[in-house]
Amino acid sequence: MSAILGWLICGLALAILLIAALGVYRLPDALSRQHAATKATTLSLTLFALGAGLLAWDATWTWRLILLVAILFAALPLASHALGRAAAGSNEVE
Amino acid sequence: MTPTLLFVVLAGLAAVPGLYRLLAGPTLTDRVIGLDLLFAVAIILSLTAALLSQRTVFLDVAIGLAVVGFVATLAWARLIQVRAGGESE
Repeated sequence: MSAILGWLICGLALAILLIAALGVYRLPDALSRQHAATKATTLSLTLFALGAGLLAWDATWTWRLILLVAILFAALPLASHALGRAAAGSNEVE
Repeated sequence: MTPTLLFVVLAGLAAVPGLYRLLAGPTLTDRVIGLDLLFAVAIILSLTAALLSQRTVFLDVAIGLAVVGFVATLAWARLIQVRAGGESE
């Protein structure tokens, strides 16, 4: 049961990653591409970590995955904010 | 364990637009966005490698990749800001 749920969540995470990649390819300007790349990627990585934790039902995996998701939640918004502010400040994007 | 190989193929498929943005993005910001997407694909591939080989070493690799991607994006943002002439802060 846990294994099937893990496979399903990992597949959903990969579908979201593919949608993010499509957005990075198709969207018209840099800031909307960054919107696609950051938010959908965060959701996809979190879901994949959850699915991997369900698949390998083990405490050592769980702690490392929790650490990974905590680092991602701390780092990705900060990095994307810095990048978006720099891009809006430069006059390449309009 | 065959779905894991499907995961590898799908993540590799998601890496193609990131590589395209990295190589052909009109602005420097677009290239950094492509790099971000490639880092996400690399983290997912590393977790898939951990699932395939049942070793926790690859989880440590994923954690390292997350930290390195954070620092790299911050450095690129700083470079874009400095190159635009905004020396503030």
